[in-house]
Amino acid sequence: MFCVAALVVFSILGIFSATHREYARRALDCVFRRVTLRPCNTGFSEQVRSQILARLLGRSVWAAKMFNKYFEVFAWIFMIAMVASTIWTAQGIYRYYLYGSCNGLNSTSFCAFDPSGTNNKVSSMQDSETCSLVNSTESDLTLAGLDLSLFPRQNESAKDKLVMIACYECDYSRAVYPDIAKLVAKYNLDFTFIHFPVKAGESETFMSAFGNCVYKSSPEKFWAWNEQMFAASKSDLDKPEFVATLASNLGLDGQALLSCALDQATLDQVRSQYSEAKTTKFYGTPTIFINGQAAVGPKPYRVYRAMVNKYLFF
Amino acid sequence: MFNTSQVRQDFPLLTRPDSARQIYFDNACMSLKPSLVIDAMTEYYRDYPACVGRSSHHLGQLASQKVQAVRAKVAKFINASSEEEIIFTRNTTESINLVARSLGIKATDRILVSDKEHNSNLVPWQLLCQQTGATLEVLPSRADNTFDLDHFAQVITGARLVAIGHTANLDGVTVPISEIIRLAHSAGAQVLVDGAQAMLHQRLDVRALDLDYLAFSGHKMLGPTGTGVLYGKASLLNSLEPFLVGGDTVESVTYTDHKFLPVPERFEAGLQDYAGLLGLGAAIDYLSALDFSAIREHEYQLNHYLTSEVQKLAKFRLIGPEDPRQRSGVLSFYFDGVDAHQIALMLDNMSGIMIRSGQHCVHSWFHAHKLTGSARVSLAFYNTMEEAEQFIKTLTKINQIF
Repeated sequence: MFCVAALVVFSILGIFSATHREYARRALDCVFRRVTLRPCNTGFSEQVRSQILARLLGRSVWAAKMFNKYFEVFAWIFMIAMVASTIWTAQGIYRYYLYGSCNGLNSTSFCAFDPSGTNNKVSSMQDSETCSLVNSTESDLTLAGLDLSLFPRQNESAKDKLVMIACYECDYSRAVYPDIAKLVAKYNLDFTFIHFPVKAGESETFMSAFGNCVYKSSPEKFWAWNEQMFAASKSDLDKPEFVATLASNLGLDGQALLSCALDQATLDQVRSQYSEAKTTKFYGTPTIFINGQAAVGPKPYRVYRAMVNKYLFF
Repeated sequence: MFNTSQVRQDFPLLTRPDSARQIYFDNACMSLKPSLVIDAMTEYYRDYPACVGRSSHHLGQLASQKVQAVRAKVAKFINASSEEEIIFTRNTTESINLVARSLGIKATDRILVSDKEHNSNLVPWQLLCQQTGATLEVLPSRADNTFDLDHFAQVITGARLVAIGHTANLDGVTVPISEIIRLAHSAGAQVLVDGAQAMLHQRLDVRALDLDYLAFSGHKMLGPTGTGVLYGKASLLNSLEPFLVGGDTVESVTYTDHKFLPVPERFEAGLQDYAGLLGLGAAIDYLSALDFSAIREHEYQLNHYLTSEVQKLAKFRLIGPEDPRQRSGVLSFYFDGVDAHQIALMLDNMSGIMIRSGQHCVHSWFHAHKLTGSARVSLAFYNTMEEAEQFIKTLTKINQIF
């Protein structure tokens, strides 16, 4: 048993060290002898055991004594732990590929492949009344009861549906929008866009209102304008003139849209949209629902693609 | 008193900067080599790398003279009657096989060996007896692993040959060789002595002992590997059948017949390890200059200290007699329930102490005694009391985990 465990450990260490490569070679020889039903009489196990014992003995006689006495037990424990950790690692790699996190979709636990947790970060939403973070979790997220007709939407008849809650000035939303636009175009998705300014600032509310006016004016041109809003510099988004200019460049009447955005009816519609968006219990942007399944934070493109293709198994 | 620090200067391995981490206690397997030996071998390859006994050019002649001089040194070292009684072989094993294959053993012959023989002095005789129908008898040792001369005296009658190790590599016990030879000759038997373990620790005088055959290796007596010697009385060697034959063993050859050279060339087939033989000559020069009585006392002092200290350890079991004077420079031991290899490996890992572990090519004895092996310390004159103390200190620590 020791040889099998040693083979794996020394093979990994052998990547970095010639000494350990030799140990790995000897461990392989030992394993090969065992699987061919021959005795492993190379002395490899004894040699490694003695080296470990010699080091332990220099620190603690008790530890050395225990190690020597239960060497085989330790070898078995180590082997079982190694097999378990290998499975766990393989599962982690699989999950990272499909979900952008080793621990599953939307999990913020530590992942070695994404140590900073970038794939799960969100611009957190604050409750405007209590100034506290919204107290909901991933399991609360739902599209049930959400009236999609209140928001800009394209390709309604498509089978696969994507609902994106994002804000123009939020970094993570800005980071992920190009991938979402690409995904929508490639798979011809039923795409609903919900603009929700998590900081609830005046300029953000204005942008929601302006967006509604653009969509009302020309649903087709809304998506081009929307894409430009995410691509523009954040500092320009605070300027109503800049936002209007983007619309003008698309052949729309920028001044009329500015007037529309300040209209009370439009502002009422925005408040109604915000209220409706909150029924999803989302707690930060971007939150993206693909066929009802929520992905919180800016995932890699492959994650969204897998969600559309239903490649997620566990 | 033996000057250890002076002789240690002659051994490159003992003068290296890391020599403090190299405690060599495996001399029964292989001795260290002094610079003199290494230089002699280098000199051959550098200055006269020619064929010996064949080429008439000046390099060939020089090489031949040098190798012949080694033969003379060996003869003098063991006090042989003439150089013709010295046959160069590859090692003790080959020397013994040479005798076994050339002696003309018959089905009616009896061969006696001790119960502690190295495989090299047991297997050739086992095979020979299986092939010829001769009888191989094993002489049991006494309870303390010493030679039972009384039993020997009772069974020697009618034996053709006694093949016996002078000093056992198992436990360092030296047999009473003079008495054995005297009794054997009285009974009309010849005696072949495996002297491999003796040559580093004492001088053997083949004429004083009236030895018939003596086999030994260069590598256990400061010389290079691949060198060995078979001494035989000239009259006996001349009666032996050829062993390995071919180049340099024949005086003339026709398509149908051949005429062998006289001894020793008759038994030295093919090109030999001349560099090794010159190294062996240098080793004999070195050993000849040493005081063997001082060496014996020095090794006794070390072994006495080691023996008295290790006996304090729990589970310790000694192989051989308790008196270190009876064990040459060997301390062979085991701990109950502990793998001897583990002890050896830990000594090496912890303090760079090199000992031998296992069955030391004496499997027959271990099988008979139902033991898996032993750890064996084998000393040489260049070992020191400080090294012995370090050994005890380390072994005491190791003993704590068992």
